[in-house]
Parts: sequence; structure tokens; C-alpha cells
Amino acid sequence: MFKYVGVIGAGTMGAGIAMAIATCKSDVYLYDVNDTVLRRAVERIKSDLKKGVQKGKLTTEESLSIIERIRPKTHLPDLSPSDFIIEAVVEDLRVKRDLLRRVEEVVKHGTIIASNTSSLPITSIAAGVKLPSKVVGMHFFNPAHIMKLVEVIRGDRTSEETIHSTMAFASSLGKTPVIVKDTPGFIVNRVARPFYGEALRIAGENIATYAQIDRICRSVAGFAMGPFELMDLIGIDVNLSVTQSMYDQFSGEPRYRPHPIQKRMVEAGKLGRKTNEGFYTYDEFKKTKVEGSGN
Amino acid sequence: MKASTRTTNSRKRKSKEVGTKKRTPALVRTPTSGRDLALPKSEPLPSSGRPVAVISGERGTALEYASICVTGGYDVALWSVHPPVEKKDLPERITASTIPPRSASVALELTNVDQGGKRKNIEHLDRALAPDIAILSSSLTVSASEQASWITGRHRLVGFAGLPTFGNAQVVEVAPTVHTPRQTMQVARVFFRSLGKDVELVQDRVGLVSARIICQLINEAAFALQDDIALPEDIDTAMKLGVSYPHGPLEWADRIGVDNVVAVLSALQREYQEERYRVAPLLRNLALGGTWWRRSAVESSTEGQS
Repeated sequence: MFKYVGVIGAGTMGAGIAMAIATCKSDVYLYDVNDTVLRRAVERIKSDLKKGVQKGKLTTEESLSIIERIRPKTHLPDLSPSDFIIEAVVEDLRVKRDLLRRVEEVVKHGTIIASNTSSLPITSIAAGVKLPSKVVGMHFFNPAHIMKLVEVIRGDRTSEETIHSTMAFASSLGKTPVIVKDTPGFIVNRVARPFYGEALRIAGENIATYAQIDRICRSVAGFAMGPFELMDLIGIDVNLSVTQSMYDQFSGEPRYRPHPIQKRMVEAGKLGRKTNEGFYTYDEFKKTKVEGSGN
Repeated sequence: MKASTRTTNSRKRKSKEVGTKKRTPALVRTPTSGRDLALPKSEPLPSSGRPVAVISGERGTALEYASICVTGGYDVALWSVHPPVEKKDLPERITASTIPPRSASVALELTNVDQGGKRKNIEHLDRALAPDIAILSSSLTVSASEQASWITGRHRLVGFAGLPTFGNAQVVEVAPTVHTPRQTMQVARVFFRSLGKDVELVQDRVGLVSARIICQLINEAAFALQDDIALPEDIDTAMKLGVSYPHGPLEWADRIGVDNVVAVLSALQREYQEERYRVAPLLRNLALGGTWWRRSAVESSTEGQS
């Protein structure tokens, strides 16, 4: 849809977004201030593409042309030919707000700037730019080159035209975009909160164990993963910080109140799979759940 | 073997106490496995020879469980099903009566919404059935312990999660009360196992596990819809594609029935007296407006707000 797309931030999300766009035949300027991060991102994309080739999802030629379309940049003005910008830098309001102001200075007048955020208000991110009507939220889900959903967030000043173009662009990437108002947690992070919050309360009251609750959620309700194994996978600290952010943004609404169990686990450094210990314990080498843990 | 004999003797004793001399409870064969089943023998429906499950409660759940019991090898006697079922519409091996059957192997009480009606049903079953017949009752909106306090045969009541549309799940959440003896628990286990289910034993608290989580997800989605953050179909799409939920929460409400969802949430609010279980007004209005959530109802309720 666009000939050139700029992606700012070459972390996990930025790299995934760049790959999704390059796969759909646009040239991508992948920018990061850190050259090492940028090189690592390109390596990760190459490795993901290689896996895709091995699985027969694309040919070697296709994978090579995707890589060719991704142009690593460490100099922000190099993004100036971009027809559309997506930033995926750290979730820090001040950093994003400053970045957008700088990006607006280097891109063509009126270029849409999308912010990939899961928790920050788009309206606040757009507060410092000259054309807030051109700023929109685009919340991709990890891994961004695979997950179909994109939440397109309408800030208070986002224009209808910007929303329309962003929806069309997301669809051109083979995604399913949904429009959502600029409210805390948007749709997914908000509606999913009780999955963790109620499960923690049920466990906290000793109604059932972590392992039982997970089994029940899988076998009775048909969830792919139970809340505790999912929190272990996401990172208990990451999950807590989303909950805490929702609780704060909704001015202490009790439905989002973080549970003491989760806080204590973060304080104890039990963060889930990444520390081999969370609601379950994990075999350090096999990376599998230790039998009987979670009970 | 010894245990079986003891069970039988104790049942005989109890039968004698209430003067049900005609019934001679004994172990019967399971309908499916042929192994000894600790369910008392019932008078089968005419000429069937199969054990009988008596089922009462709200129609959707009652018919769902009736079908599961028939598949599991039982004959089913429906009683006090609301709204009532037409006898002529019932498939083979399911009968409906206006008085509680005196003889059955097991009783299932599946009311979640009408708690006054549930109490009447439980009291009726307690009076009508021999004291060794277990009453397995959905305890999502009233705890099993509270239900047991309504009857003299409190030892026979076991709670379980009887939420509509979950009857075919591989696992069932079962919650004994403080009065439930091991023997009654064993009956519950054997019964659910004969339906091909694994029992997950949990503590007796309203909402139990899956219903509490799912109803709160639906409530949050209803708050989000009420706040007009997105279209209803987009809320469902987002949850299915973003976090791989088996159903969108709003369509899930449609499947379960908004009245059941509101009943579970209201029970949680009564139990915990916490703001977090406040029912989204949109959800409550839908439940009051009609029994079932319909997408058209959602659309009309949010019309003109965009």
C-alpha cells in the first residue's frame, strides 16, 4: 500500500512489525539509535525467515527479497522518504512524546505517525506534535509478523482520514484491525484483566491450586493456556505492571486492583519462565514444568 | 469388597430409619463400564433396566445434562424444569413429570437463576428421595453449604459447576460441603466418571472456578461496550485473535445466557460485598429485558452513541 514505511525501534516488536511490512512488499526503513540492537534485529528476522523456509511457508527467494527490503538505519533523517511511520520504542510516555516531535520534523508534511503501544494514551503521546490529527495508535501483538490482530487507537485528535488510512494499511498487511477509543488497556489488555485477577483471587482464597485452575480453564472453558501458566510465560512482572497501570489509569477501580500474591512474587524475583520459577517451577535445562509444581 | 458391603449395610440402615422398606438399595452396574457403581438401584423407566437420573432446574441446562446422562447410559426423569418442557418433544429415554419421582439413582438440580425455585426443588427432592440418594446441585449462585442448610438430609448434597453449555467438558468442578461425607463424594465421583468426566475437587464458594473467571470476563467486556470503546463484534474479534480466547466474551454471554451470567456475578457480589463484582448495568438491563442476550439487543442498546 505504501512504498516506504519507517519503523522506529528495533526491539522484538519493531523487528516483527518490520518483517510483517516487508513481507507485504513495502520497503522498510528500520531505525534504532543503537547499531548493535539493529544488527541483532536483522539477524532475528533472518532466522525467523529461515524457519519459514524450512516449514515451506515461503521460498528462499522470497525470504531474500524480504531481507533486502529491510534497510537498517541509525540516522533519523534517513526516514524522510517514508509514507507511513510506526514507532515501537520503549513504553515510556516522555520518550515516545519526544520521539514523535523529532520524527515530525524529518518526515514529509502530513505523514501518519503510528505509535505501537499497549498501555499509553495516544492522546498524551501526540501532545507535543504539530499535527496530532496524524497520530494514531497501532497496537500489534507479539509476534507481530504472525498475530493477526491490530488495535487501531483513535486519539482525541486523530482525524477520520488517519483512521481510515491506518485501517487500510493494517488490512494490506493481512491483519485484522479493530478501531478502539483511547482508553486504558484498549480492548485486549482491559478485557483480559479478570482472567488473571479472578484466578489470583481464587488461588488466594485457597478454592483451588494454580495447577487446578489452569486445568479447569483449559478443560472446562477451552482456553489454550490457563492463567498461571500464561502469566509465567508473559512474565509475572510484566503482567503486574499492566494491571498496576490499568488500576492507576482508572483511578483505583477495584476491578483492576493488583493481587498481593503477584506483588510478592515479583519482589521475590519469581518472574515466571524467564527465572525458572513462577507459579510453577521449571527445569533449567529442559525448560519444562516440573511435575507436581503449581499444586 | 469390604467397603462395598459396609456401604450397602449403611444404606439399608438409613432406608429403615425413614421407613422406605420397599426399596432395597444395592450396588448396580455402571451403564458404561460394567464395573461396580456405588449408586443405589433405582426403579428404571418401564422395561428399560437402566439407572435413572432425576433432573430439575432451568430448561437449557436441564436438557443439556439430560442428553449427557442418556449418552452415559441413564434414563432421565425431568421434573420441575423451567420453562416447562413439552412431553411430546422429548427424545426416547427422557420423561417429564409434575411430581418428583420417588425412585432414582441420583438427582441433579440445575437451577442457577431462580434461587427461590432452587430452594423449593432441593427441599422437594430431599423429602421425596430415599436418604441415600445423592443430590448433585449446581452451586454457582448459592454455595453448596447454604443449600445443604435448607434440608434435613444435608449429608447427601454435593455442589458442582452447572453452567449452561459446559456440560460436555471433560472436567467437572465438584465442591463438597462441610457436611458431605466421603461416601456421598464417592457417589458424585462415580456418577461423573460414568459420564466420562474427570472430577476436579474445589472448595465450596459461589462461582467456583471457571464460571467466576468467565462471567467476570463477560462483565468487563460489557463495561467496555457500555463505555463505547469499540463495536461489540470488534471486542469479540480482539479477544479471539489477540489472546486466542475460545469465544469472544459477548458471544460467550450469548451462549451461556445473560441471565445466568448476571446470576453468578450477583452471587459473587452478595458473597464478597465487593465493588469489583458490580454487574455492568448494560448486562443487567439485557438480562431484565429478555432471558437471552441477542446481538441485535446489544446493537440497539448502543445505537446512536457512536
